[in-house]
Amino acid sequence: MSLSIAEESFLYDSLSGPQRLRPDGRLPHQFRPVEVFTDFLPSSDGSSRVIASDGSECIVSVKCKVVDHTVEPDLIQVDVDIAGERDDSLLVESIASLLNKLIGTVDHARLQLTKKYSFKIFIDVLVLSSFSYPISLISFGVYFAVSATQLPKLVSNFDDLEVEELPMFDDYDLVPLEMRTPLVFTLALVGKNVFLDPAANESAVANNGLVVSWSAGTVVAPLRTIALNNTHVTGFDPELLQVGIKLVEQHAPGIVHALEG
Amino acid sequence: MSRLEVYSPEGLRLDGRRWNELRRFQASISTHAHSADGSSYLEQGNNKVVTLVRGPGEPASRGQLDGQRATLRVSVNVTKFSKFERSRTSHRNERRVLEIQTSLRRTFEKACLLHLYPRTAIDVELHVLEQDGGVLGAMINGITLALVDAGVAMWDYVAGVSVGLHDQTPLLDCNSLEETAVSTVTLGVVGKTEKLSLMVVEDKIPLDRMENVLAIGIAGAHRIRDLMDQELRKHAKNRIDNLAGKQ
Amino acid sequence: MSEVITVVKRKGVFENDAAFNGDRIDLSSEDEMMSDADEENSISRRDTDSPIVTPGELITDDPVWMRGHGTYFLDNVTYSSVVGTVSKVNKLLSVVPLKGRYAPETGDHVVGRISEVGNKRWKVDIGAKQHAVLMLGSVNLPGGILRRKSENDELQMRSFLKEGDLLNAEVQSLFQDGSASLHTRSLKYGKLRDGQFCGVASSLIVKSKNHTHNLPGNVTVVLGVNGYIWLRKTSQMDLARDLNSVGAAGGASTPKGTNGPTGAVSLNPTTNVSITRLEEESSWQIYSDKNDPNISDSIKLTITRYANVIKALAFCEIGITQERIISAYESSMVYRNVGSLIEREVMESLGADVINGEKMRGTGV
Repeated sequence: MSLSIAEESFLYDSLSGPQRLRPDGRLPHQFRPVEVFTDFLPSSDGSSRVIASDGSECIVSVKCKVVDHTVEPDLIQVDVDIAGERDDSLLVESIASLLNKLIGTVDHARLQLTKKYSFKIFIDVLVLSSFSYPISLISFGVYFAVSATQLPKLVSNFDDLEVEELPMFDDYDLVPLEMRTPLVFTLALVGKNVFLDPAANESAVANNGLVVSWSAGTVVAPLRTIALNNTHVTGFDPELLQVGIKLVEQHAPGIVHALEG
Repeated sequence: MSRLEVYSPEGLRLDGRRWNELRRFQASISTHAHSADGSSYLEQGNNKVVTLVRGPGEPASRGQLDGQRATLRVSVNVTKFSKFERSRTSHRNERRVLEIQTSLRRTFEKACLLHLYPRTAIDVELHVLEQDGGVLGAMINGITLALVDAGVAMWDYVAGVSVGLHDQTPLLDCNSLEETAVSTVTLGVVGKTEKLSLMVVEDKIPLDRMENVLAIGIAGAHRIRDLMDQELRKHAKNRIDNLAGKQ
Repeated sequence: MSEVITVVKRKGVFENDAAFNGDRIDLSSEDEMMSDADEENSISRRDTDSPIVTPGELITDDPVWMRGHGTYFLDNVTYSSVVGTVSKVNKLLSVVPLKGRYAPETGDHVVGRISEVGNKRWKVDIGAKQHAVLMLGSVNLPGGILRRKSENDELQMRSFLKEGDLLNAEVQSLFQDGSASLHTRSLKYGKLRDGQFCGVASSLIVKSKNHTHNLPGNVTVVLGVNGYIWLRKTSQMDLARDLNSVGAAGGASTPKGTNGPTGAVSLNPTTNVSITRLEEESSWQIYSDKNDPNISDSIKLTITRYANVIKALAFCEIGITQERIISAYESSMVYRNVGSLIEREVMESLGADVINGEKMRGTGV
């Protein structure tokens, strides 16, 4: 997004000032409203479509497969596809690696079927359009798709070490997965101020971006800094890191509550 | 699949349709008004296709610039999760997908009045979220709706549908299960005419049955054209009423 | 409603998120018999009483009509090439498309962004099919209007306007292919400063005589016909322009500003801003990137409120005029927190307020 110098300095002055004025009047911690659709892909075990108010949109599918967990220990795999970006682009790879790292920390217990076999779930993310750094939107999409996921119900024995048999499933009954994946927040640092969910024009003047993850009621690693633009990026005061983490700690429960609601 | 009864003696297909029946056809336009000039979401049977049209607009690179007409580009993204069984690799550079892109581009280069938009580019982006046979036909319909939504001038609608041939009987609008058992032809039909702007035959079809196959295909495409027309008219009417109430 | 985020959840299928009243239509029942195609046809023929036409539809086989935009001619018959309504003006038959990018017309007041600096010309993004051209000869350069352009100017074009810069301008003429040529040879045009950008669909801008309006709260809006909108702190110039037009409208005997060779309106002599202002403004300052250093937080907040109010009108697909902006702004005062104006329900209620207000006063446009 290219802005004029006058626009940029107007935005920067407003955002970095003591009143922390955002161009759309939001409070520093306020998100843009999102709209969520779930369960619209019958051939997937779970699906979601999340749309932000600026038209950024992300579609997530969850599909499962039965694997021998002694051979394949990684039971969750995230794949990211961003329209208009190559699969090996920096943006796609960095987002995919962050999500995979993060999701690896989720408790896998619910995926275990028998002593030998587990479900492996494939989370495919398709970003149809994005106007600002899309990781927050993606994490919402994954969150909704995974919470909407229903898996086939096991009818065979849990203990299959003695008797050699493949897991068998009920023809109709499904069991909700009931797993909660981590949320990821983007923060923009402008001057001495920190903002949650920066819009495109806010990102354009941010001195730095911060990606903070939230899982099971606490801020978790990885924590990353990102450049939200090419022109304004500077070093930042480590104290802002604390401010950012505090902001997330303070408001993430409210966001989780809204997502669950 | 040989044990599968594709067409029962009573004249019913696997999903209960008769030989000349289309699957459920549902479409909406302007679904992505923020991110594209024209957009559509289409469900044809279990196929689900999102189409975004950007343009006519300033071309991203000089290489795309044609002083006489608009440059049309079509990119097809068949998602990894689109089939029942998830595929391991991205379909992006598969030969089949590249071929589909080329035939779609050629079809719509002929269908649009591109000479009205010299020195511009029109980018068409398709995302196949779910596929269940005859997806090429669904792509054609999705593009037609999105191009019209973008306000790109067209000679006429192009409606796409596939027809299979089971023994002597043509089967309209085959799903993927039927596709595994019969040879299919995909047609792109121009408006209410009998002109074909696209025909893809991927298996062997006896030449003497071809006429039957084309006849039901064209009739099916005309029906789809009417359904698309209804959707566009309804949308147009809503918009006009909406504006009339507020101007 | 959570203060942090609003989440609207919907089950199942895609819905039309653009339309205000979600017009998703189930087109067909589960089983579609081919045999009722003929019946269907007769229904669509009855529909044609309404003026909406779709691509490939026969409009007329009467050859007297001249064929305008949105139509084509084959074998003595005129067909539509887009979805829209038929318009017949004198002998010209055209189809007005329902949607599409901004199509420039001579005299339009537009807001644009420089996309490229080229040989003696700038390319300007005005949201049309093609970027517009702004010739070096079509702008006022520092040093007064009578100054001649030199090679030096060509070399320092970027010091006047560079990529990303926003300006307002008038469409001077159209090229053969429909692209626009702009000019800024008037004091009301030029580089934009002291404010914030906001974009809406060009079809929502209602054309009027004047597209720069001073709004309550010391904010001025430039409503580009192309849907690009600039909100800024009201400047001395803005105030002077308003005084002048008020004087003229009141039929006062003060001489109406004469239009100089630049189209610049000389200002009402009773105001403290004089004609020499033109010379001052023509200095380097008109291309400055510096904002007014005295924009208070309250003005910034007001600008934000106006930006959100305009987005709310656009969300409800309500044509945007000065009166409606002000009316929606006044209704928005109920919401103390400007940030709450981005919520869907709030936008819908603001839109309804504006429409109902007009119905009550009978002032609908």
